[in-house]
Amino acid sequence: MPAKVVVRDLQKRYGGVDAVRGVSFEIQPGEIFGLLGPNGAGKTTTVECLIGLREPDSGYVEVCGLDARREPAEVKQRIGVALQSTSLQDQITPREALRVFGSFYRQRTDAETLLKRFALGEKADARFATLSGGQRQRLALALAFVNRPELVLLDEPTTGLDPQSRRELHHDIERMKHDGCTVLLTTHYLEEAERLCDRVAIINHGQIVATGTPRELMAQAGGAQSVRLVTLKALAKKRVAALPAVEDAVCNGPEATFRTTRPTEMLAALTSWLAADQNEIVDLQIRQASLEDVFIALTQGAEKR
Amino acid sequence: MNALLQHLRLSLRLHLRNKMALLYGYLFPLIFLVAFAVLYRHERVPLLRHMGELLTVAVLGGACFGLPTTLVSERERGVWRRYRLTPIPTWAVVASTAVARYLIVLSAGLLQLGLALAIGMTLPAHPFALLVAFTFVAFAFIGLGLVIAALADNVPAVQALGQCIFLPMLIIGGVAVQLGALPLWAQHVSAFFPGRYAVEALQACVNGAGFSGARFSLLALGLSGVAGCMAGAKLFRWDAQQRFSTRGGKAWLVPVFGAWIAVGLLAEWRGRIGIPVDREVAPVAQVRVTPVPSAGSVTPPAPVAAPVGPAVGIVLPPEAGPVAGRVLTPPPPDPLWTRVTKKEIDALDYNVPPDQGIVAPMAGPDEQADDFIKDQVDGVRNKLPSWPPGTDGDELRCIRNVLYVAAVPDAIQLPVERYLPRVVFEHLIDTYPREKLTKILTWIAMTPEEGMVIDDISDLGIEGAAGDPMVVRERAYLYAIKFVARLTGRVAE
Repeated sequence: MPAKVVVRDLQKRYGGVDAVRGVSFEIQPGEIFGLLGPNGAGKTTTVECLIGLREPDSGYVEVCGLDARREPAEVKQRIGVALQSTSLQDQITPREALRVFGSFYRQRTDAETLLKRFALGEKADARFATLSGGQRQRLALALAFVNRPELVLLDEPTTGLDPQSRRELHHDIERMKHDGCTVLLTTHYLEEAERLCDRVAIINHGQIVATGTPRELMAQAGGAQSVRLVTLKALAKKRVAALPAVEDAVCNGPEATFRTTRPTEMLAALTSWLAADQNEIVDLQIRQASLEDVFIALTQGAEKR
Repeated sequence: MNALLQHLRLSLRLHLRNKMALLYGYLFPLIFLVAFAVLYRHERVPLLRHMGELLTVAVLGGACFGLPTTLVSERERGVWRRYRLTPIPTWAVVASTAVARYLIVLSAGLLQLGLALAIGMTLPAHPFALLVAFTFVAFAFIGLGLVIAALADNVPAVQALGQCIFLPMLIIGGVAVQLGALPLWAQHVSAFFPGRYAVEALQACVNGAGFSGARFSLLALGLSGVAGCMAGAKLFRWDAQQRFSTRGGKAWLVPVFGAWIAVGLLAEWRGRIGIPVDREVAPVAQVRVTPVPSAGSVTPPAPVAAPVGPAVGIVLPPEAGPVAGRVLTPPPPDPLWTRVTKKEIDALDYNVPPDQGIVAPMAGPDEQADDFIKDQVDGVRNKLPSWPPGTDGDELRCIRNVLYVAAVPDAIQLPVERYLPRVVFEHLIDTYPREKLTKILTWIAMTPEEGMVIDDISDLGIEGAAGDPMVVRERAYLYAIKFVARLTGRVAE
C-alpha cells in the first residue's frame, strides 16, 4: 500500500530563520506516527506545511496520494486535524460545532455518533465556555473526525490535561488505529509516544535526527545504561566525560546525566575518583535507557556536548 | 452553499447568545433613540427628521464595532485558524460573517423604526428606497468594519480604532449633531466622512425625495463600500500571530481613504457642502397636491401644497380631514384661514414648552428686559410696525413673517429670545382684530410648512442667522400656539 504521507526535503524559513531544514519522512497506512522534538524544533511548522496552513519554501509533500501543495482543498477533505492553537467560540455548543463543521465536507459522520463516540453526549448542548479542558480536547478530536478522515493529525493533544483525561484520550487515539485510521501525533510527552506510536521521528533544529520504532531507537542507544548522579560537591564535566565508556555526559553543578555501555567498570572508576576528591554520592540511578534518554541524548545532549 | 447557510445561521445564533453583542447592537441604538426623542421632544412628528441619524448610529455600532470585535476576538481565540483547516475557502466564511452582520444591523434598524413608530413617528415616505439606502449604508460600514478588523491586532485596538472613526463622524460628521448646527469648516470636513452620506441617503428616504434625493449619497456610500470590502478582503488575517505591522499589502489602505477623499472632493466640486437641500424642501416635497371638493370654488393658479396631516405630522383634529389637502391660493377672494372653525382652534396641541424654558420662552407682560438688551428690544418694538415683511402683502404672510421675529432669536438662543415674543405678541394684538388674528395663527399652526422662512432679522437690529430653517419653522409654530392660547383665554395674562 502506498504511504499515507510522504515528505521530502521540506524547507521553510521565517524572516531569516530556518524553521525546517530538509525534513523527510513517510507514514504508512494504519500506523501511529509520532513527531517528537523540543519546543521550536520545527514540529508545528512541519505539520502546518502538511495541512496547508503554511506554504513551504521548497520540498515535496504528498498526503493521501495527493500533492498537498497543488491540491490543498482536496487534501483537507480527506484529513482531520486537531491543533493545539485552535479553539471555538464561547457560546457554541458541541452539537452545533459538529453540525456546522460537518457541513463543510463532502462526506461526514453525523453529530450524534461523534458525540457518543467521544463521550460528549451529556455536554452536547452546553456552551463551549463551560466545558472542561478534557471535554474541549475531546470535542477537538470529534471535530477532526467529522469528515471520516483517512489521516488524522493531532498536535500535542494531551498538553495541559489532567492524568485522567490524558488516559481517556490515549484510549481514543488507540481506537483510531483500531478503526484503520492513520495518525500523525506530535507530543513532547515521551512516555506517551512510547506507549502509542508505532514509529517516531525526532526533530531538532529543523532536521530529523532519528527515525524508527521506539524499540529501535532505544536499541540505538546500544544497550547503554542511563545514569543519573548527584553528589555533594560540583562535578567537573571533563572528569565525568573521562570516566570509562561514558557518552552524552551533561553536567549541571553537582548533577550529571550520561550513558555508559560498561556500568560496572564506570562505577569502579567513579567511586575511586569521588573518594579521592572527598566528594560524596547523594543520589545514583542506573537503569535501561528509555525513549526519553534517547531523546535527551539526541537533542539537549547534542547541544551541550 | 449549505455550508455557508449553516455558518450564517450559527453566526446569528451566537450573536443572540452574546450579551455584550446585544448590548452594543440593540440597546446602544435604542439609547440614542430615546435620547433623541427627549432632545427633540418639541418637534411636531417625533424623530421623523432624525431617523437618518439614528439608523446610521445603529449601522455604525454594528458594523464598525460589532463586526471587527467578533472577527478579531475569534481570530485571537484561533477560531479562524480552525476554519482554515477545513476545505471551505476563507473568503466564503468572511462573506457569510458579513451577511450575518447585515442581517443583525437590519434587525437593529427595524427595532429602532418600530419603536419610533410606536412613539408617534409617521411611516417613512419611501419604504423600499429606505431598505435599499440602508443596504448601501450597511455595505459601506461593513467594508469599513473589515478594514478595522484587519488593522487591529487585538480587541482593545478595535475599540480604539472604532472610536477614532465613530466619534468624529458622530460629532462633526453630521451623524449625531445636525450639519446645520455645525460651523462651515465642520460641514466641509463632514463631506469627507461616509457618515454624512449615510444620514443624507436614509433621511431622503424617510421624509425626502427618496432615490432622487439620495443619488449622490448612494454613489458615495457605494464607493466607500467597494473600497472597504476590497481592502478588508485583501488585508484579512486569519492568524493572530500575524501582526498588521509585519504584513504586506498595506497599500490596500490607500483606496479606502482615497475613496473618502474622492467623494469629499466631488462634493466640494459640486457645491454640496452646505446643508442639503432635502432638509429644507423635504416636508413640502412629499406633500401631495390634491384638489379638494370643498375648496372647489377656488382655482389654484400656482398651488402651494398644503401638508397631508399624518405625513408631516401636523397635529390635526380628526374632523379637520377635509382641510388637509386643500389647495392654498392667494387670499382674495376667500382666504382659507377664514374657514378655520372653533373646533380646529380647540384641537390645537396646547401642550407646548413652558414660557420659562429654553425652547420657545416668553416673558410675562410686565417683565422688563435687562439693561444690556433693552435697546435691542426697544429697537425691534419701534421698527416692527414699519418692517416691510410684516406689512407688505396679505395678512397671513405678514403674520407668519412677524412670528419669525420671535422664532429666530429663539433658534439662535440670543439673550433677547424671552422678550421679543412679547413684543411680537403685543404688536399683533395692536394691529389685527382678535378673532381674525386667532384664526390666522391657528391656520399657521395647522400649516407650519407653508411659505418662505425668514431666518435673518438683521434689519431689525438682531444679528445672527439660524442655521436650520426647520427649527425656525418649528419655533414659529410653537409661538403661534402660545399666542392662540392667550387670545382664547387658555393662558391667563
